[in-house]
Amino acid sequence: MLLAENISKRYKNSRRTVLEKVNFKLEEGEFCAITGESGSGKSTILAVLAGILRPDSGKVCLDDADLYALSDKDLSYIHQRKIGYVPQANIFLKQYNILDNIVFPYLSGDTKNGQELFERARAHLEILGIGDLWDRYPYELSGGEQKRACLIRALLMKPQIVICDEPTTGLDGKTGKKILTYLDEYRKSGKTILAATHDDHVKACATRVWNI
Amino acid sequence: MSRKKGNNLFKNIASHGFYNACLLATILILSAILFASAVIRQSLNTGMKNMKKRLGSDIMLVPKGAKENAEDLLLEGSRNTFYFDASIYEKVSSIDGIAESTSQIFLKSLSADCCSSEVEIVFFDPETDFVVGPWIEEEYAKTLSGNQVIVGNSITVENGVIRLFGQEYPVVAKMAKTGTALDSSVYFSKETMPDVIAHAEEKGSFLTKEQLEGGIISSVFINLRSEAKLEKVLETVHQTIGDIFDVVYPKQLNTSLAGNLSRITGIVDIITYALGGLLIVLLLLFHSLIMKGRKQEVALLRILGRTRKTLIRELLSEVGVISLSGTIIGCLFSMLIVFPFGTYIGMQFQMPYLGPSFAKALLTMLLIVLFVSAISLLTSILFILHVTHVEPYLALRREE
Ligand SMILES: Nc1ncnc2c1ncn2[C@@H]1O[C@H](COP(=O)(O)OP(=O)(O)OP(=O)(O)O)[C@@H](O)[C@H]1O
Ligand SMILES: [Mg+2]
Repeated sequence: MLLAENISKRYKNSRRTVLEKVNFKLEEGEFCAITGESGSGKSTILAVLAGILRPDSGKVCLDDADLYALSDKDLSYIHQRKIGYVPQANIFLKQYNILDNIVFPYLSGDTKNGQELFERARAHLEILGIGDLWDRYPYELSGGEQKRACLIRALLMKPQIVICDEPTTGLDGKTGKKILTYLDEYRKSGKTILAATHDDHVKACATRVWNI
Repeated sequence: MSRKKGNNLFKNIASHGFYNACLLATILILSAILFASAVIRQSLNTGMKNMKKRLGSDIMLVPKGAKENAEDLLLEGSRNTFYFDASIYEKVSSIDGIAESTSQIFLKSLSADCCSSEVEIVFFDPETDFVVGPWIEEEYAKTLSGNQVIVGNSITVENGVIRLFGQEYPVVAKMAKTGTALDSSVYFSKETMPDVIAHAEEKGSFLTKEQLEGGIISSVFINLRSEAKLEKVLETVHQTIGDIFDVVYPKQLNTSLAGNLSRITGIVDIITYALGGLLIVLLLLFHSLIMKGRKQEVALLRILGRTRKTLIRELLSEVGVISLSGTIIGCLFSMLIVFPFGTYIGMQFQMPYLGPSFAKALLTMLLIVLFVSAISLLTSILFILHVTHVEPYLALRREE
């Protein structure tokens, strides 16, 4: 369970407070869609909830752990195993191919099961219809293909919560549907999804819609 | 997995290839300069130290007009000949105020069958000598008898003898290296002179009338008693032998040489510090550009769960690999220039120059490799800490 209490955030050098005393609770097994007009702070709250943007005040707790009070090591563990984050922009390590981009970030530290991760990544690329692109470099992929690779990367370690920033924006209906189905399947396996979106298909699929 | 990890390291370096290449070049140049300046400094100092040993007399009397030639001979070993009558030594040596004196004869350099280049042949008097002795590399029984020789450092000795003009001469000692043409001199006892000259003539060497006739000396080296007045002694010499001599002051040459040395090392130091400072600024610049370029990448890895510690370690090892290869290549590169051109460098400075031994050069290299790597890592650490501490979300959104 992810709980945010009294979150306020104003970006440095910005006059506007983007988030003001926001409270939010994400229950296990939910698919929550966050909507709101552009600039309303969807990406910001997702980042705060994902533990990658420190709020000015308030706290975010995963189960009982206050994310912003954890040591770097513990927070890193949460990022690796418990919260998967898919950014709005498709960002890769440009020197690695797609498969390595998905697997390598998890290969240092205590992750020893490299082979298994590679196999799992290949299988998921297959499921999302880009199985033959595994050895291509990020710049060789279309936006939709990149988005799917980012999604697989976020889900590879089977995190209990997946946070997606506009997973279907800018994609054709068919690709969007593939992604949505993939996310919904994942939720049905007992996980929790939080997604910022403008897409009616996503809203329809969600168990709850939160208008920020 | 270790092979893959190594691969990643090079991939990461290659992905920021341009700035990493600039960084490598900067480190390379920095190391090359440090190495060259350290070696040049060492070589000049050793050269000076050895020079000092053979400029051990207060005054040196030479025939009038030969002053410059004699100085060149002392400092650079240039091959010159000048003579006055041998009787002068007897007259001068008994003058009041003189503590010790000895004479030498320089035979113009001759091509000899022992050596690839011409050799300078010097005859000295082992009985009274205090000039050649201190400059000998290892111990020898001071009595140089018969046809025994002492050789300059770069003369090759085979089976303990050298061959000159068809004759074999046993070598009893070797001079310390000077880094000048004196290294290819051969020192005979005075008594051997007629013999050597006869053989040289037999072999068709060109000899002057004076050399053939004998009864000559080239210079008288003198050390004064501590209480003696230089002017007074010279006055007496003048009265005794007349106005036929010039005076060279080896110990003064030594002092002026030491002055030159500190001036030159001063300049070398200034150049080294100035370039070193500039290159360290460049190091800072390239480290900052490299890390700026990696900001998004680092943020992404942190979001995917890589710890700061791991990232810092990975970034440091990338910097380490570049720094280490840069500094090693730089030193080797510097060696290729400094070693073959050592003599030339010495000539340019007009100073005795003695290159370091292989072991010493290696030690210098090791110190520079450690020093430069440490500097490079230290200058990078600030940027590495910065890039691993920015808010991941903010860094992620900003494309550099
Ligand atoms: N790094 C930043 N510095 C300053 N202001 C920022 C920064 N990032 C976002 N903002 C501002 O914060 C507000 C919220 O941004 P955010 O990205 O959360 O919006 P959003 O709801 O995700 O919009 P969109 O639907 O267009 O993605 C915007 O007004 C934006 O201008
Ligand atoms: Mg957004």
